[in-house]
Amino acid sequence: MSTLSALAHVQAMESMQAVPLTEFRHRHLSARPLVIIPLAMAGEAGAPLAAMVGSAKRNGTLLVVAQPRNRDQRFAFAAGLGRIVMDYIDSFRQDRRGEGERSRYTDAPQILVPNPGGLKALADLGRMCRFRSTSGPYAVPDVVPEFGMWLTFLVDKAEQAGTSMLLPVTGMLTEHWATGQSTLEDQNLASLMAWIAPPSGLSVDQAMADAENPDVCPPAGPSTSPEFDNRDLAPAIRKFDTAHKLGDPHALSAAETELRELIAGQIQPTWRMVWQAISLLRSVPEAPRSAKRFEGDCKAFTDYSNYRDSGGLPQRKRDTAIGAARRLSFLERALAEFESDMAFDDRFVLADRRSAGEAFSGTVVEAEPGRTVTTDKNRRVPRPRVTVRTEDPVRLAADTKLISPSMLAGHKAVIVSVLPDGDTARVTVEITGGMGRGRVPKQGTVPEPGQYVAYLPDPGWRPAPQFPASDAAPWTHSAADEVGTDSAVPEDAAAEEWGNEE
Amino acid sequence: MREPVDDRLAALRGSAKRLDYNARSLAALENNPRCTLRALLDASGSDKAAIATHVGHPPAFGQSSFAITRGNAFEAMVKANGCAELLRVLRETLELTLPEVGYEDLNDVGGDGRSKERHERTEEVLLRAARGEGDGTLFDHPMLCLQIGGHKAYLEPDLVAFRIDGRFHVVEIKSFPIIDEQAAPAQVRAATTQASAYIIALRDLLGRAGIGEEAVSDTIVLVAPKDFTNRPTGAFVDARKQVAALTRQLSRIERVGDLVDLLPEDLTFDLARDSEDRPRRPAEELNEALDQVLVTYRPDCLNHCEMAFYCRSRARAEASLDVLGPVVRDQFGGIDTTTMVMGLARGELTPSEDQMEMAAALRHAARLRAELEDLGGAA
Repeated sequence: MSTLSALAHVQAMESMQAVPLTEFRHRHLSARPLVIIPLAMAGEAGAPLAAMVGSAKRNGTLLVVAQPRNRDQRFAFAAGLGRIVMDYIDSFRQDRRGEGERSRYTDAPQILVPNPGGLKALADLGRMCRFRSTSGPYAVPDVVPEFGMWLTFLVDKAEQAGTSMLLPVTGMLTEHWATGQSTLEDQNLASLMAWIAPPSGLSVDQAMADAENPDVCPPAGPSTSPEFDNRDLAPAIRKFDTAHKLGDPHALSAAETELRELIAGQIQPTWRMVWQAISLLRSVPEAPRSAKRFEGDCKAFTDYSNYRDSGGLPQRKRDTAIGAARRLSFLERALAEFESDMAFDDRFVLADRRSAGEAFSGTVVEAEPGRTVTTDKNRRVPRPRVTVRTEDPVRLAADTKLISPSMLAGHKAVIVSVLPDGDTARVTVEITGGMGRGRVPKQGTVPEPGQYVAYLPDPGWRPAPQFPASDAAPWTHSAADEVGTDSAVPEDAAAEEWGNEE
Repeated sequence: MREPVDDRLAALRGSAKRLDYNARSLAALENNPRCTLRALLDASGSDKAAIATHVGHPPAFGQSSFAITRGNAFEAMVKANGCAELLRVLRETLELTLPEVGYEDLNDVGGDGRSKERHERTEEVLLRAARGEGDGTLFDHPMLCLQIGGHKAYLEPDLVAFRIDGRFHVVEIKSFPIIDEQAAPAQVRAATTQASAYIIALRDLLGRAGIGEEAVSDTIVLVAPKDFTNRPTGAFVDARKQVAALTRQLSRIERVGDLVDLLPEDLTFDLARDSEDRPRRPAEELNEALDQVLVTYRPDCLNHCEMAFYCRSRARAEASLDVLGPVVRDQFGGIDTTTMVMGLARGELTPSEDQMEMAAALRHAARLRAELEDLGGAA
């Protein structure tokens, strides 16, 4: 965190209201996002309790597992949720543009969950479903493994910086607003909303107190509050079990209705709050470069869609050494690009980088616009130099490649020297690109004395790193014993037994 | 003349019954060892939840009955039929050679479930095993005992296994899942710290009989459900670091006298309960008593300390940067309050010698912020 962002949090705490951290929303927000609020049973591994799902505030569907420990009910739930999600995903697999290999879907799905815990719950659900067999013992409906694979794809994609296909709403909000509370408390959607948009008539203080009171604001999941579990849920599930055992249809439907009502009471406040958060986020203008990143999402969506259409295998349980290295390199690259994109688009983010000394801006005090050098190929090219006086605490070293949001597109430069000058610094940069092809730079491509310019490091192009083929991992990276690892579809996939009570 | 430390601690607790340390509260020591209030309340055996509730900041974490049921059911399943499932895990998953197996239940001694009797029985059985007599291999719920700050705390590990490479191993049975050979790091850490308390207590027990500490392994065996099933799987977890950390914390409890010496003579956290167990002490007065002790609040206290909401409200009232958590706080090394940060940022306060650099960075950041706000834009 930079001094500037830290200061924003202090300001928020002092003024008791959220402070904007960015000018733009850097995530694409779909016109028709699908909200999923998963609830899980405490203490149980991946035992879904309920979910509310839908692509508009008015038509949320509530799915409830009456006895989460029962395997059949779990998978009936997974199939129910799976159908809704797959219908939603399939609705984006209609409109395709372009020919042959470059053909793409023009839109991509976007699933929103309330918080990082919700994302984890979907990851668990994906893992639970994707290896299920649709025939033989423990068979599940066709949609279950398909849903599992798609969920896993979306969860994997969510780790990539700048993507928008699966996001926690708390994350989107904290990217844009700083609150006067800790990161931990920011993960509570109600507490976060208390800072950004307290309910009318309430102060932030009161709204925060309400947000932590499970009777006023039930937790946004995936865990329900222990009081609710012990006071309401446990007796209701017991009633259901008894009715189930007795085979009494009236008692059973009464018990089911009671459970649904109880859970609806817990989940609906979060549902409303998520949609309120979405409309808040909609009011923030979208960053210019977000569209380019969204194209990346569409491409990834198309690729995975094609892979599924060709009957691809489910994602493996653990990455191989080479797969992991490739993925890590890709994620690092995506993060660097996302950070740079944000700073390029957004003066708030640029200021943040400046405060950390990772970017600078100031006024041109000296310029050698006519400077040229001779290249190895004996060509004379323009290499103008300018010196910028800045008050920023520049921490960039000589030879750092730069780009500039304040110059024309394609402008490139490199740092020659950074010299302290009293309370300021004089940074001399050499312009290396974006001046046209001629011997003389085009008009307006070289900053002039008195002009205000901003520079930040160029994440640059770098060649795709070469990795060995998957089956040629060096001995340092291959496991000596292959016990219990790594076939894409484990043999015992269908034989996993489940936490049935009886 | 100062009173002895124990009397002072008893006075802090007042009329309430003493709450002893257990493995859980010991493990919590590791989370925020520098907090004076916590150290005093724990060392004096005060009821933190009751105190926090009385001053209007009840703790928020209860435990769901589902989690408890699941935990118990899983443990029972692992131990059913003379630990059949556990042995399968030890032999198949962890590939241990356990030639013959004797199972000894130390849950109660001839129907006597009292801690002291159970502890004596445990001591006898484990010492016999350590000397190579007796045929026990698995000891179910032994009752261990640890002297903490001069007081006995009874601890009860799930299971202790012997003769894995000729050493005792603490077995922790937990119901959180190990999915694709990975478990949630926070939960593994909590389980390991808890097991570390058992390792220390077990070493203590053997040590008193002259048996060296190498007789107890500092690798624990974690047994937990595999993936989403009910079948257990196991893993070795290295607890060396946490055993060392906990040992260090325990030695600090011995020095709690130093902390007590800093307190006013008549300080007490007594709730003054009446005959019907209702606290009679005015909340105001208790609040004032608490306010006299230093606290080290961190947002993650909210996850494990009963006093956290009280400490947070205190930190908020003091405009302390602790409220924002270490990520923000660490940006302003040496500055404690928002008032100070804003004062330096606005140039209204004169920085001290060692605040010069921070003040310059703050003024720079404040200028940037002002520039952004002047230009309007985001609201």
